[in-house]
Amino acid sequence: MTDFARAVRFQTVHLAIIGLIAAIFMVGVFASDRFVTVLNIANVQDQLVALALVALAQTVVILSGGIDLSFAGLLGLLSVLFATFAGSDPATFAAAYVGILVLGTAIGAITGGIVAFSGIHPLIVTLATSTIMAGAALLHTKQPSGSVPIFFEDIVYARFFDFLPWGTLFVIAAYLLVGFVLWRTRFGIRVYAIGDDERAATISGVPVRLTKVLIYALSGFIVALAAIYLVGRFGVGDPRAGIGFDLRSITPVIVGGTLLAGGRGGVLGTFLAVILLALLANVLNFLNVSNFYLWIVEGVIIVVAVSLFVVRARS
Amino acid sequence: MADPVLAARGMTKLFGSNEVLRNIDFEVIAGRNIALCGENGAGKSTLIKLMTGIYTPSAGHVLLDGEPVIFAGPKEAIAAGIAVVHQEFSTISALTVAENVFLEKEPRDRLGLVDRRRLRRDCADLLQQLGIDLDPDTPLERLSVAEAQMVEIAKALRSRARVLILDEPTAVLSHREIDHLFRILRDLRNQGMGLVYVSHRLDEIFEVCTDICVLKDGDVTSAGPIEDYDHDRVVAAMVGRRLGELFPPKSGPATGAAPVLSLRDLKVEGSAASVDLDLRPGEIVGLSGLVGSGRTELALAIFGAARGAGTVALSGANYRKRTPGRSLAGGLAMLTEDRKANGLFPDASVAWNFAASTLGKGARALALSPRDEEERSRSVVERFSVVVDHVGQPISALSGGNQQKVLIGRLLENAPKILLLDEPTRGVDVATKAEIYRTLRRLARDGVAILVISSELIEVVGLCDRVHVMRDGAFVAELLGDAITEDGIMAVAAAATGGGMRPSHD
Ligand SMILES: Nc1ncnc2c1ncn2[C@@H]1O[C@H](COP(=O)(O)OP(=O)(O)OP(=O)(O)O)[C@@H](O)[C@H]1O
Ligand SMILES: [Mg+2]
Repeated sequence: MTDFARAVRFQTVHLAIIGLIAAIFMVGVFASDRFVTVLNIANVQDQLVALALVALAQTVVILSGGIDLSFAGLLGLLSVLFATFAGSDPATFAAAYVGILVLGTAIGAITGGIVAFSGIHPLIVTLATSTIMAGAALLHTKQPSGSVPIFFEDIVYARFFDFLPWGTLFVIAAYLLVGFVLWRTRFGIRVYAIGDDERAATISGVPVRLTKVLIYALSGFIVALAAIYLVGRFGVGDPRAGIGFDLRSITPVIVGGTLLAGGRGGVLGTFLAVILLALLANVLNFLNVSNFYLWIVEGVIIVVAVSLFVVRARS
Repeated sequence: MADPVLAARGMTKLFGSNEVLRNIDFEVIAGRNIALCGENGAGKSTLIKLMTGIYTPSAGHVLLDGEPVIFAGPKEAIAAGIAVVHQEFSTISALTVAENVFLEKEPRDRLGLVDRRRLRRDCADLLQQLGIDLDPDTPLERLSVAEAQMVEIAKALRSRARVLILDEPTAVLSHREIDHLFRILRDLRNQGMGLVYVSHRLDEIFEVCTDICVLKDGDVTSAGPIEDYDHDRVVAAMVGRRLGELFPPKSGPATGAAPVLSLRDLKVEGSAASVDLDLRPGEIVGLSGLVGSGRTELALAIFGAARGAGTVALSGANYRKRTPGRSLAGGLAMLTEDRKANGLFPDASVAWNFAASTLGKGARALALSPRDEEERSRSVVERFSVVVDHVGQPISALSGGNQQKVLIGRLLENAPKILLLDEPTRGVDVATKAEIYRTLRRLARDGVAILVISSELIEVVGLCDRVHVMRDGAFVAELLGDAITEDGIMAVAAAATGGGMRPSHD
């Protein structure tokens, strides 16, 4: 086994997803001749950037045995704040950019602190913080408002060779970085240790609470990046920008083979699952199938994926 | 005598109003190995946790080299050179052998990143030095309990510790691995390490320890150099009375009755050999053999928890599609090696844990009857002298041996006709062992057929009417009556296998 294979913990689940992606791709090719066009391929990527980022954040949290349902509120709040303060010149933009990242990280750290020190289940803690932030965002503005400098929108919409948006490169870099952190840092090993067996980790000397604070802080940081991206894409801050992202962020994690119970899985599976889901939505669109069917299909995929893992785990 | 490296002074611990330890003095001295003895629930593990920063004392303090210290957590104790192999596993099944061994001590490069190559190499070196034959890259979940335990020991010894504390390290090991462990312990002692050794197997204590300290009811009842003690004196200090015979008289082979369990050509997955066996009502049959000889797999295959090819018949009727649920319904019950896998719900109360397995009886009215459960769990608590505050206590707050007792009690609740027991007295103190043996013999006399897997040879010899010795998935010998001796079993079990320790899948 090569070091690389060990690092990404390459498994059959990944091959299975790649197979599915190929199959759906073929369906798309037959469904429409507009499917394999630079325009559509870039479009699929634009659709998946935000989801890919929040799913990445969720992967780390779930690996550690937790769950983060705060994305809906957090995305909304950070989105309106960013659009409010980004202004139109590079200086204010840079200040707002850094400010939002710091704020997202800080909110994550506080959430992690509550989870770590109160012993309350993260489901409840993050649901509560999400609600608080959603309320705050709506108090700030009920309608989409604010703006970002033109140059930022230009960056968000720029494409290499017409088909490769900046966002995709950004997502790939983020996944590689987090994958590297999980593989090559003590923090990464702690994430798996805590997720698998918190008690054993504790008596082994793992600083469980500190690690949890860091995990949710990292999650907040990544979600802040997603919020900034969304503002760039739509040109305004929207208090409702995050609606649905809480649960949608979990789907690719589970489909990608990370156990909801924690300790097992990794970012590669999530990455592939995000591509799978984005492609699926796109192809169904070409087949003129209603969006509601997409929900049904997604639900079926989750159930099938999870039952496959369960069967595999038993044998 | 030399000054202690690590000592507890006036150590007192209360859980709620339950005073587990009272004003205990305890010393660990360099170059000595002190045995810590006591019945289940005597407070041995608690004392260890108090000295290593896992629990906070209610009163008293810890001295390191004569200076008072406060370990705020296990991390500080580890940093001070105190290594512990806890009774509960501290290995993490999602991590590899190397990641487990060096958890929180991963070698790092100049950038502070984990140096994966060195991690693997350091681990391989350490394992080799200890004579443990495992691949550093294997995930822990693929190892047997015995192998995981060796990883646990390697983990404790990864850096030069000054004190090594082992809380029942041999409970899951077999003879050969124990010998190997003892060689390691003697070496460490000669190198000047201070050791603490907890075990319910008294012969081990006499073999490897230099001093002894006995706890009972929260006090130290007896302590001194091991030369001043013999078996009976230790037991008397532990139990507070002299103990009669450990094993009840055997009843002789049951040749007459028709077998209740018959195996023909039963082959477990991954094994080349197959076995035949007839188990008759009233007999206790032992399965002996080294760890890795396939005993556990065989029992699991009979029970339906693992795959096996061949025929299993219950009272003459072919039993095909085997599942644990159908086995239980058919009166075939099994106690597995691994407590967690046994369906122990650690955070639920003792009574609730009873309810969970005896639903058939308690659920007559579609609902559990809490009073019923409580009463029945209380009767088991009494019979096996389970040390517990009240049956509403979460089972994870019980000492290791007491959890085992609850499991056995729960298993017998359903009045099974055939019992498969894998290491039934693991971590159980002598007095309760005797009670368990008596209970098993009584059940046998009432017509239950019992198959016992045990790595403890004394247990096999003392308890069983008939012993099959296994090697590589096959029965290599059957011993009867007076032919059942420790030497006899070892001679067959270990024949044709090389030296050194090679824990493998069991
Ligand atoms: N976390 C806890 N909460 C409440 N009571 C506890 C807790 N841990 C231990 N106890 C109680 O303290 C007593 C001593 O337990 P301990 O685990 O130290 O026993 P032990 O001597 O190690 O027994 P064994 O031989 O079975 O391992 C038991 O009665 C147990 O129920
Ligand atoms: Mg104990």
